[in-house]
Amino acid sequence: MESVLKVERLTVYRGNYAAVREVSFCLKPGTATAIIGPNGAGKSTLVQAILGISLRQAGKVSILGQSLGTSGHLPTRVRQNIAYLPQSFLFDRGIPMTVAELVDLGWGKPGLSLPWVGLRERHQAVIQALAQVNGSHLMHQSIGSLSGGETKRVLLAYCLVRPRKLLILDEAPAGLDFQGELEFYQLLNQLKLEYGWSILQISHDLDMVSRHCDQVICLNRSLICQGSPEVALSPENLMAAYGPEFTRYHHSH
Amino acid sequence: MGQNLLATTTLISIMSIDTETARLIGLFQFPFMQRALLSSVVTGLLGGLLGSFAILRQLSFFSDALGHSALLGITLGLLLNISPVLVLLPFAVLFGLGMLYLLERTQLSTDALLNIIYSSSVALAVIALTFIKSYKGSLTQLLFGDILAVRETDLLLSILLLLVCAVFLGLTLRTQMLLTLHESLAKAQGIAVQTQRTWFVVLLSLVVALSIKAVGVLLVSTFIVFPASTARLLSQRFTGYILMSTGLGALNAVTGLGLSAALNLPSGPSIVITQMALFLLTIALSSLRLISSPEGI
Repeated sequence: MESVLKVERLTVYRGNYAAVREVSFCLKPGTATAIIGPNGAGKSTLVQAILGISLRQAGKVSILGQSLGTSGHLPTRVRQNIAYLPQSFLFDRGIPMTVAELVDLGWGKPGLSLPWVGLRERHQAVIQALAQVNGSHLMHQSIGSLSGGETKRVLLAYCLVRPRKLLILDEAPAGLDFQGELEFYQLLNQLKLEYGWSILQISHDLDMVSRHCDQVICLNRSLICQGSPEVALSPENLMAAYGPEFTRYHHSH
Repeated sequence: MGQNLLATTTLISIMSIDTETARLIGLFQFPFMQRALLSSVVTGLLGGLLGSFAILRQLSFFSDALGHSALLGITLGLLLNISPVLVLLPFAVLFGLGMLYLLERTQLSTDALLNIIYSSSVALAVIALTFIKSYKGSLTQLLFGDILAVRETDLLLSILLLLVCAVFLGLTLRTQMLLTLHESLAKAQGIAVQTQRTWFVVLLSLVVALSIKAVGVLLVSTFIVFPASTARLLSQRFTGYILMSTGLGALNAVTGLGLSAALNLPSGPSIVITQMALFLLTIALSSLRLISSPEGI
């Protein structure tokens, strides 16, 4: 089966140091993969380099069989099959934009087109995406008035507004309450099992990772280990990634 | 007797209103006044349209600094004895791109850097002006503009620029919206953020440069900032906001020009006062909750 995402010896420099060094892994279709590691381990840098948001200094990335250009270029049809939810979504809260308008932007890069082309089709998709995240009531609200949890839901709807093959989430459930988090993971599971989406997510929640993910990538600048949760989350590997203090803490309760 | 006096006074005031209206109508029969009217509409539309994106992208002070620095461009034109418009347009674009380049690389805060740039340019320009013996125009005209002095070439260039801006922003609207909202999301969708930003600054610089004749270097950025700031109070939807900002730009400019003609006031400042009055009125109405305001100011 062809990989949805293939990363080979990826290296990204931040100033003078390598934030990510020679990382290689691949993602199979319809699987969920978690990237774990301590703060400053280069997790966000890694996903940003995969998306072409940050530029890499060495290595190869290919998504759905297409190589990512060194300046971050990917064909539009590939881009439309990827959705990304960033860790921090800081925006000008005074921006006049409704939830429906934001979710609509997830439809993808339209190139040069008249703004009303495909409006009806997109509008239907927006309604469905918001319903999937239980956010239909937010549709006409200004995005500046949303709470942290509501913003996360709306951004997830932005990702869901069209069918994708790869969903990349950077600590997505942060800000959601207990119920919201539960629904969030149920939705991810549904996307994976029913629609065959591949999910790559950065997470700090090791319990969630062991329950919901098929593959774990343990990162601390370079790849510490990768494999099934049982293997990657073994005390030896966690110690290698986080240091001895963490392992003691994690297994003491 | 008292009633007769009242009736006579009323009649005189009605007659004087009629005379005043006739004078205004007569005034707008002159080609220079018609050009000024059309120019105010086009400049207002341009400022409102570009301004709606500019204020959300933190480019208000950028427009202001560019406007002030344009004085240096005009002076260069006078020194080289070339028509100021011919020098001003390329000067503004190069200067705008230069400022963008520095802003992306500096460790200084944006406002400090812009302040350094524009005050240096103004100082250089004023010193250079003292060396131009043949300069007949007044500094006041450069500083505050004169919409009545707008020529056909300026007007045609503005109309052309309006078409270019409307087509460019219309065809890339969703790209522009995403870019205004969040840069990383835009990059993740494959939007060439740098290229888009450069094009926008080029258009913004041209708009500022072409509006200078009408309102002068000191007040030009108000065309960018006021209509958009007012529209932001009036609309929660992005598309509604852009259209409203564009429309308000034209409405303010025409009303201001009318005010200037009626009361014989300088045109540029009259337009700015109109913009301010509408802005304050909108704030007052939204704080009284007579109109819905998205987030206040």
